[in-house]
Amino acid sequence: MTRLFPRSLPGQIALLVAIALFVAQAINFGLLVRERQSARFAQVIVPTVTRLIDAAERLGTPVNPRPDTLVGADRREGRENRRLMRGGRVDFVPANPVPAELGRRSDIERDLRRGLTDGGVPVGQVIAVVRPIDASRPLLKRMDPARADRMRRLGAELMIAVELPGKGWLSLSSAWPRSERNLIWQLLAQTLILYIVVLLPVLWAGNRIARPLRKLAVAARAFHPGDDADPVEESGPSDVRAVIAAYNALSTRVTAMLDEKDRMLGAIGHDLRTPLAALRVRIESVEDDEDRARMADTIDEMNHTLDDILSLARLGRPSEPATDVDLSALIDAVVEDFRDLDQDVSFEEAPRLRMHLRPTLMRRAVRNLIENAVKYAGATEVRLRSDDKSVRIEVCDRGPGIPPEKLEKVFDPFTRLEESRNRETGGAGLGLALARAIVRDASGEISLVNREGGGLVATITLPRT
Amino acid sequence: MTYEPDMSDTPHLLLVEDERSIREPLAQYLTKQGFRITQAGDAEGARARMAAYAIDLVVLDIMMPGEDGLSLCRHIRETSDTPVILLTARGEETDRIVGLEMGADDYVVKPFSPRELAARIKVVLRRLQAGGTRQHAPEASSYAFAGWVLKTGERALVDREGVSVALSTGEYSLLHALVTRPRAVLTRDQLLDLTQGREAAAFDRAIDNQVSRLRKKIEPDPKNPAIIKTVWGGGYTLAAEVTRL
Repeated sequence: MTRLFPRSLPGQIALLVAIALFVAQAINFGLLVRERQSARFAQVIVPTVTRLIDAAERLGTPVNPRPDTLVGADRREGRENRRLMRGGRVDFVPANPVPAELGRRSDIERDLRRGLTDGGVPVGQVIAVVRPIDASRPLLKRMDPARADRMRRLGAELMIAVELPGKGWLSLSSAWPRSERNLIWQLLAQTLILYIVVLLPVLWAGNRIARPLRKLAVAARAFHPGDDADPVEESGPSDVRAVIAAYNALSTRVTAMLDEKDRMLGAIGHDLRTPLAALRVRIESVEDDEDRARMADTIDEMNHTLDDILSLARLGRPSEPATDVDLSALIDAVVEDFRDLDQDVSFEEAPRLRMHLRPTLMRRAVRNLIENAVKYAGATEVRLRSDDKSVRIEVCDRGPGIPPEKLEKVFDPFTRLEESRNRETGGAGLGLALARAIVRDASGEISLVNREGGGLVATITLPRT
Repeated sequence: MTYEPDMSDTPHLLLVEDERSIREPLAQYLTKQGFRITQAGDAEGARARMAAYAIDLVVLDIMMPGEDGLSLCRHIRETSDTPVILLTARGEETDRIVGLEMGADDYVVKPFSPRELAARIKVVLRRLQAGGTRQHAPEASSYAFAGWVLKTGERALVDREGVSVALSTGEYSLLHALVTRPRAVLTRDQLLDLTQGREAAAFDRAIDNQVSRLRKKIEPDPKNPAIIKTVWGGGYTLAAEVTRL
């Protein structure tokens, strides 16, 4: 049911209008039926009552009890009304001639009874049934052609039997319009026409609103500050244009704000690096080699942290475009850099794997994972696995692992495992946060899992491009 | 200031840096290392001193108020052959790339170790004395050879299909050295010297090892190398046409 319900704006408007039209049509139909009924009363009931009264009065001075004489009064065509008025085709029979299995029409019976009573004819039972006419009924062939035709056209026959207490039954049948069926077709045709006339413009108008809105949604979803996307074209009615203009202004403002942030970060970076650089130069005058080395390490670490903070803050709008990259070679290059520094990092050679991503950032993410593994475990093994849908870069170590309750927490910036914040192990705890941000930017995910038998596997999962 | 004749055995460096807190201790340190130092606080001062002295090498800060280091670097390159080492405050690729394209010989990223800077100054000077191996033409943004393109900016190697094949720092330095000197036979010592100039710390493994790794990446048949060829008794050579892009 919910699936049938349209979700789009034009669809919902069209559905609403369609329902409203249908309800209005139904009300019209009801009124029409009522009017038809009263018209029918005037057209059929009144003459019928007249005939019955006429017949009953004639029976009051019975000339001939043979029904044939009553019926034979007039068989001329085209003058039906007059003939009815004169009470043609009324049969007089001793018992109820209407088959009991037919459905009785109490509304017609009530009208007849009222009419007859008003006309001063005392009646017993009044029975009225309407039965559809079977066009091939032999009776029709025997009837005069005009009447048979009318019967066929109207589609039904009204059979009436009125009991005159103590005398017998008057029976009469006449053509009955099966008007309800016609009316339904009429209603359907009307509604269809209305739908075409009204719904098409509604759909058109709805689309005119919805199309620019859809474009706006697409643009908003694809909004990536700094990629200099063109503003969304302003189209549609003025309200929609206003929304689009507001969105364009908003995205310009956001971009400007981010530019401002970048400038500020650049300035902060410069202002912090300059004193660091000055310090780094000055410590060369420290005589004690060990002291000097430690100072240099501290400065390097501060600089590294500063780099990480700036990268993390800038990641929202990376300056590097995504390019086609051989991921296998990329990992190999990162691993090689570690090996050049005499770190125990191994990479099982993998076949060429073409991916579309930002190489420098991805290198950094992989490097951060390997760096962690080397830091905590001393050695690491890197693997590249791929299937049709995704690519997994696994950085495995045999270090102490991470307590399960902290597996998620280590991704938070400035979180480190050892409570002491031991400076020896270095880093401000931004490595994983940065790696995750980079990988998420590439629509991937990073997970950490403790290995069976000790150690940790950090896995970067990327969708296959 | 009076003109002082250049003492041939002490190289004369011009140190251009707007931050006194860096410039002065650095000048002190470099003097101790046996260089003769002239200081300038901005581009204008640097131009004046360039005109006044026979400068052997310029150490130049990129980020300076007024005319910046890059513009001064271009000016120096246009008017003289004096080598330039850039001090870059940002770790950003762009500055480094632009700097190298402007014709700088090397760069260090702040905060740098003064020892490293001194080492690089010596390497650049030695290269120059060794007989003009220095590239007079500024660094190109990419070099095309044997179906590959080596991009100096991204330090990436791009194949025919446009897929970038990452190189380790060592591999890049080696390939860069070969590509900028096509068909020249480079001995292991020369290659070590050339590649150490840029990333000293990251490179202490044997040249042969790096070459075989590089071959695996770029040769159609690494066992039968056609691009990086071994010269018997000599070293290695890049046996391919190189186009500067």
